[in-house]
Amino acid sequence: MLRQIFIVSALNFKSLTSRFWQSMVIVMGLAATIGVMLSMLSLSAGMREAYIKAGDPGRAIVVSKGADQEGQSAITRAMAPLIADAPGIARDKDGKPLADRGLNMGVPVLRKDGSKGYTTMRGLADKGPGVRPELHIVQGRMFHPGKREMIVGVGAQTMFQHMNIGDKVILPDGQWPIVGVFATGDLLEGQLLGDTETLLTSLHKTNYNSVLVRLASPDSLDIFKKALTTNPALSVSVERHSDWYTRVGNQSTFTLALLGYIVGTVMAIGALFGCLNTMYAAVSTRGREIATLRALGYGAFPVALSVMLEAILLSVTGALIGGGIAWILNDGKQSLFNNSVFHLSVSPAQLELGVTWGIVVALVGGLLPSIRAARRPVVEALRAT
Amino acid sequence: MMKFIPLVWAALMRKPVRVVLTLLSVMVAFTLFGLMIGLNATFDLMAEKARADRIYTWPRFGGNGVPVAVARQIEAIPGVKAVTALGFIPGYVQDPKNQTFLLMLDQNAGKVFGDWNVSAEMFDAVWKDRTGIVMTKAQAARWNKKVGDTFTMISKAVKRADGKNSWTFKVLAIANDVPQNSNGFIFGNYEYIDKARPLADQGKVSEIDLLADDPSASTDVAQRIDKKFANSATPMQTITEKLARSGNDFGGLDIKKITYGVALAGMFMVLFLTANGIAQSVRERFTEFATLKTIGFSDRAVTAMVVLESALPCILGAALGIGVAGILARQIPKLMPPNFGIPLPMISPMVILWAASAAFVVALLSAALPILRLKQMDIATALSGRG
Repeated sequence: MLRQIFIVSALNFKSLTSRFWQSMVIVMGLAATIGVMLSMLSLSAGMREAYIKAGDPGRAIVVSKGADQEGQSAITRAMAPLIADAPGIARDKDGKPLADRGLNMGVPVLRKDGSKGYTTMRGLADKGPGVRPELHIVQGRMFHPGKREMIVGVGAQTMFQHMNIGDKVILPDGQWPIVGVFATGDLLEGQLLGDTETLLTSLHKTNYNSVLVRLASPDSLDIFKKALTTNPALSVSVERHSDWYTRVGNQSTFTLALLGYIVGTVMAIGALFGCLNTMYAAVSTRGREIATLRALGYGAFPVALSVMLEAILLSVTGALIGGGIAWILNDGKQSLFNNSVFHLSVSPAQLELGVTWGIVVALVGGLLPSIRAARRPVVEALRAT
Repeated sequence: MMKFIPLVWAALMRKPVRVVLTLLSVMVAFTLFGLMIGLNATFDLMAEKARADRIYTWPRFGGNGVPVAVARQIEAIPGVKAVTALGFIPGYVQDPKNQTFLLMLDQNAGKVFGDWNVSAEMFDAVWKDRTGIVMTKAQAARWNKKVGDTFTMISKAVKRADGKNSWTFKVLAIANDVPQNSNGFIFGNYEYIDKARPLADQGKVSEIDLLADDPSASTDVAQRIDKKFANSATPMQTITEKLARSGNDFGGLDIKKITYGVALAGMFMVLFLTANGIAQSVRERFTEFATLKTIGFSDRAVTAMVVLESALPCILGAALGIGVAGILARQIPKLMPPNFGIPLPMISPMVILWAASAAFVVALLSAALPILRLKQMDIATALSGRG
């Protein structure tokens, strides 16, 4: 049986060159489908990656009860020290808890293309750098606590105008100079950072948005959470930072991802009809060859399987070409959507998705032709011209 | 050319499976084409219908909003005709997945939003009934509401004095949608949100919208507003409607580039399929074409036949595809999650023209090589079946 499958398929693949242009219909159909789908998904995937990278499982975020975005949350000045005193938080070399009172709000920016948009401005307090060790300055210097200064992420610098050292950011109490550029490798790179307390004063606000803590160990979340949720003086929600960003990232990218899948599905249906067409034609071209094989005693199954294998080979080739083009055109390119700045991403996981779609199209598109190939009466096929 | 139709039809019907599959593939590609170019058409319409005299302004740094007194100060700025202040209730219906938001308007709304298709009676009804709302047909269909129904939403963003987070409204009227806002909207009475909030939040609005006396001066008026409040406790961010709707902007993405790219990829996909189909069909009937030429069919006549054979599935497929796109576009509000955030594609005459042109180009490109082969054919060789 295996030998038969091998021989029939080998014979089949050898004749592929004589059906080159016909076979290209499948290859190009899938290349266009997967190229478009992965290009569109590079947006949602890149954006989601930026969110997920921003969440560290070794951190926990505290927001007011029920808030599912930092902007909706308010942590009062009375609550903040109670949170920092809770058990389960890592401590710095002076024995102080690594708990950072954060501020989070939108700030208008002018995009490089001239359109108006928003990005996130974040306040970091004294423990900010300790809680976020991934934050490092790549140009200029860190802002001085208590001073009206800002630093900008490398992504923000790429995507927005007036984001260089020496440029000014308009705030309610005047213009703040940009003194440094930072990198984090995640979502924060599209944002602006300043000192929490100074920003609060400038914005006439009193409450923090969140408290971000570094956990003593990733397992200490339960102790920390229990201490906060059982404290009657607090009304807060606690979530592992990675879980928080996975959720927020999924929510923010839902529409984009859905669009990508819809367009991909419609194109795949178009490619499927092309695949059916080509495989029917291939089966009819190979009619006599198949009949000869059958007359020689080869089984129906190896013949059907060889048709399927051909469809899969062509589809997967097309999917890989499309995926490759999507990768070359998009992967790593700096982009933005709404308030988020990120790098487009065509990852191996997405290429795998593309190949899977190729196989599905081939299986559905190859099934009927392969059955026809196997079932066609031998005598009739031999006689056909 | 018409006299060739029976011949072409016979040629097509020789391989019905091939023709039907080609047709279906072309149809699907044009469905996508219609949706993509249709989405573009909607963005273009939104830009075109944008009122040159309308201006939006909101607090630069969000927060709880600005005192309503700011609206009165804006009224006093030279060149301003009418000013209305708005509150928003963002939230969801039943499940957090069903995101929506309500505009809460004050009594000047009719002056600033005269192009909304909302009658004076509808506005009046809402001013008289604090919990009343008006929704457009698209929204009424989305939430399955009719006049007299109750509409309840949950909002965590707007605090209520009573500590609850649910807001209940009564549907007073259903307005017609406007094409430039195909997803529709719901609005209620600002008094309701204002009086329901804690005392500290009362008297604040989220946005102030206004009309300029002179449309050509609206950019200046916008700058005047930004300047006036730049050093106040509430710096404002002001933008003209024209600017906001220009450039097909969708969250900073270039919609034109994306939609054209997808539509083009679809055309590329069918081009290979149709070109192959017609090439194969001509190859199979090479001898027949030689016969036709022998009995006096001119090169032009043969060319016409091939073009027709190539064009028929393309044009028919394009027509069907655009039809399906039109039907799908109407069903999008029902098929997609609420507040999908993308305007509905619109199958305008321009979209149909684009589709027809694309179908012709695909048909001509597909037919090009076979035509060349037929022109260069040596009739004697072809007739002997060795072509």
